[in-house]
Formats: sequence, C-alpha cells, structure tokens
Amino acid sequence: MRKKKKVIRFVLFLILIVFTIYTLAPIVWVFSTSFKTKAEANRFPPTIIPEEPTMENYVFLMNNSQMVRSFFNSLIVVIPATILCVAVSALAAFAFSRYSFAGGKTLLVIIMGIFMIPITMNVIPLYLIFQRMGLLNTYTGVIIAYQVLVIPLNIFILKNHFDTIPKTLEEAAVLDGCSTFQRLTKIIMPLSWPGLAISAIFTFRFSWNEFVLPLLLISDPDKMVFQVAIYNFLGLYRIDWGHLSASIVFGMLPIVVIIVFFQKQLIQGIQKGSLKG
Amino acid sequence: MFKLKKLIPYLMLIPALALMFFLMIYPIFWNVDLAIHDVEISTLNKVWDFIGFKNFIQIFKNERFLESLRVSLFFVLGCVTLQFVIGFAIARILVEKIIGTKIFRILFIFPWLLSATIVGYSWRWLYNDFSGLINLTLMGFNIEPVPWISSPNVALISLIIANVWFGTPFSILFQESALLTIDHQLYEAAHIDGASPFKCLTKITLPLLRPFIAINLILITMWTINIFDLQLIMTNGGPLNSTTTASLYMYKQAFEQGKMSLGATVGVILLAINLCISFVYLKLLRSERA
Repeated sequence: MRKKKKVIRFVLFLILIVFTIYTLAPIVWVFSTSFKTKAEANRFPPTIIPEEPTMENYVFLMNNSQMVRSFFNSLIVVIPATILCVAVSALAAFAFSRYSFAGGKTLLVIIMGIFMIPITMNVIPLYLIFQRMGLLNTYTGVIIAYQVLVIPLNIFILKNHFDTIPKTLEEAAVLDGCSTFQRLTKIIMPLSWPGLAISAIFTFRFSWNEFVLPLLLISDPDKMVFQVAIYNFLGLYRIDWGHLSASIVFGMLPIVVIIVFFQKQLIQGIQKGSLKG
Repeated sequence: MFKLKKLIPYLMLIPALALMFFLMIYPIFWNVDLAIHDVEISTLNKVWDFIGFKNFIQIFKNERFLESLRVSLFFVLGCVTLQFVIGFAIARILVEKIIGTKIFRILFIFPWLLSATIVGYSWRWLYNDFSGLINLTLMGFNIEPVPWISSPNVALISLIIANVWFGTPFSILFQESALLTIDHQLYEAAHIDGASPFKCLTKITLPLLRPFIAINLILITMWTINIFDLQLIMTNGGPLNSTTTASLYMYKQAFEQGKMSLGATVGVILLAINLCISFVYLKLLRSERA
C-alpha cells in the first residue's frame, strides 16, 4: 500500500515536471535566441545555450531610439495610471468597507459584473469618444483608459483588506478630532499596505501589458508605448527572430522584477481577489 | 449636517463610478448608436445616415461573419475546456504538496503575467516553419515538420495551444484556492468507508467545488470570446481567415476596413453574448450565497 502511494506521488511529480517544461520552454527558447547570432538562431540542430553568445540583438535594440523611447513612454503612462487607480479604488473601497448605505451591495455586485466584460468590447466607441474629446495621442487619454482595467478588482482586494482592520482604532482617532479623510490616509492605508501593494502590482501588470487600447489611442510614434512599439518595430511578415527575442526579454523585465520581489503577495492577491467574489 | 454625513460614502464612490461609467457604460450607447447608422471612418465627423437594423440584417447574411462565429465557437470551446481541465488537474496535484510546491506555483503563474504581444510573438517564433523550436524538435525525431501557423487546417489549433499556455495559470490558481477550502476530514472519512479516489473526486470534490467551477468557467469563457490581440499578432486572422474570430472580425471591420458601423454591429452582438454569460454568473453567485 505504501509503495503504491509512493509510485502515485512519483507519477504526479512527473506530471508537474512535464507541465513545467511546457510552461518554461517558450520562455527559455526566446531567452536563448536573444543571445544568438542570426546564423545560430536558424541552425539545426537547435542549441539551448548559445555557442557563440552575442549581445548584438540587444545593441541593435538599444540603438533603436524609438524602442528605447517607447519603454520610457510606457513608464510615463503606467506609473501615474497605477497611482491614480490605487487612489480611486482605495477611496471607493473605504466607502464600501466602512459605511452601510442604500444601494451599496447592489453597486458592489454591478462593479464586479462590469469587471467580467472585457474592455475590448468597447474599443470602437472608445476610439470615437476619445477622438471627439481630443484625447487621442495624449498620455492623459491612455492613463484614463487604463483605469477601467483594474478598478473593480482593486476595489475588491482593498475592501477585503480594509475589512480586517478593527474599527476601534478609528473610533479613538475620531474622538481625538481626526477627519474622515484622515481616517483613510493616516490609519487605514498605512495599516493595509500589503493590500495596496497587491493592487499596485495588479494595476502595473495590466497597464504595462495592455496592447489594444494604446494601439488605437496612440498613433504618434513619439508617444507610442512599448507593447505597440514591438508590434510596429517587427512588422507583420519579415521578422528578425534575434531582434524579436531581445525585445521580448526587454518587455518581460518589469514583470520579472515583480515576480522576484512580490511573489507571495501576488499569489495571495490573485487567490483572495478571485475567490471572495 | 446629518444629511451631509449620509452623502459621504457616495462622494467617495464618485471618482471610481465616474471612470467606470465613462469607460464601460457610456461607450455601449455609442456602440448601439453606431450600429444603427451607416458610418465609415471617413464619415465619422460628418452627419451619420440612419439606417435602423440594416446593419444587423446585413451582418447575419455575411458569410465571413458567420464563418468568424464558427471559428470563435471552436476557439472558445477548445481553450476553455483545455484551460479548465489542465488547470484543475494541476491544481489538484499541487494541493497534494509533493515537493517544491511553492516553486512550481510561481513557475506556472509566469505566462499569465505576460502581455499578449509577448506571448503572441514568442509562439510565432516557436511555431516557425523552418527554425522554430517545435519543428526543429520534430525533425530531430525524424518526424515531418508541421506548418503550425501557415496552414489553414492547423492554425486554429496552434492558436488554441498558445492561448491555453497563456490562460491556464489563472485556472490553476483559482482551482487551487478552491480546493483548499474543502475540509480534509471529508476525504479521510470517505477513505475509511472504502471510497476509491475516483469516487472521492465525483462525490466530494466536484459537487463541493460546483460554484467555483462555474465562476471559473464563465470568467475564462468571457475572456476567450473577447480576446483578439493574440490572434492579431500570431496569425493576423489568417491563413485564409481560419483564425479570424468574431472579436478579431469586429476589430478588422472597424479599423482595417474603416467600416465603423459594421464593426460596432458585431460589437453589439458580442456584448449581448457577454451579458448573457454575465447574467448567468451573477445568478450563480446569488444562489451560492442563499
């Protein structure tokens, strides 16, 4: 009986290994291509560790001013978008967590319902609206558009965090003359920084990765964000796989940084945010 | 003063609600408005011709659109089934805590953190006919290389595989945390009563997870129906429109053909499909709480 159990566990372990290979192979392959010369990238049999490692793909990328610029454009858009989104969500989460008001529960359900509908549904009218409002080709426009990606999820995560903070703390502060706004900024937010970190990570991840919205809202090459710049840089049919791989690795950088530093919060955040629905 | 206090929570909600109204609700009206007019990208800023439901009649007679609905159906069924089954199986193994669970979990989540651009281009490179990893491996085993994304018969399947790679991590995490809510004593009791592992799965695990499974399925269904950036990058809808899903068809009508109204019409149809699914989702949530 014991032996049988061990065999089963070994088989399960093997399945995990196979799935790991499926998950990692594309990434490893792209990573290794990015350090290969053009000749080696197309060679048979393929090499996993480049025989003549080269930085030429990265040098090419760094010399492409538009790609470099777009990387910073992305940051210019994503950082304010993240700050704005967390602030707006925290305010709403505070209302949901600390007040019981008419229609509150229904509103929460509606907000979550909206989260189900992907923004891609709205790209055509959004293009039109942004055009009429003069928001096309502006950072402001993209920052606003990014808000919708994560506000519902953030409200949810933050509300769950705020709920865990005992109300007695605030009651004492109110007696000492603390205003409503100060309750949020001086008591609740400092105490729930893990929740704020998760929502910031989520906002960053969604905004950094967004492709469709900036593709439509920004056509000015000087303001293009990274995801769109990759698309334009590579063209549709003739692709240099070394350059492609280098730009993919480049685009993964912020995400890898997030994984390395925040893996625990990230997993908890996804599980909490998704389950308490 | 008393009345003002009652207003405070609403005031705090205004920024979030305003943004969501502006970006999610308000555009829906514009979408419908576009769909009942005849507007092309060149006539966007002129007077719109009102044509009522003609666009809807025209679109349902359009062979290309009907074809894209079929592609969407196949794409969604394939992606959702595979993502869920694989996600559930992997989650079930992860909760056994065999060895290195934490490391596996963080590795498995990786694809979900990437962008459609990065996933799309990475898979294009993997699928490359002559120097992509997959065909090189096949050739290494003396197997005939497969025209993964250059043959209309295979391209949709290749697209599904890539999207499954992209989307499965969500189902793994979701089902893992769902599985953790089940009291372990239930299994021990069943074990003492001599229940087989298969019986445990069908009689304990699946019934208890029913609401989680439903939510998971509906979420990934909606995401899969609407995704089009992956197709745009990997195959651009081709070859021979074999990977043009309804969502991609919508985008192409509006922004490549310039037929804003026809695109909006497809958008309205997709929205209706989405709302139906959303409605089912909310119903399930309610019944779970009751």
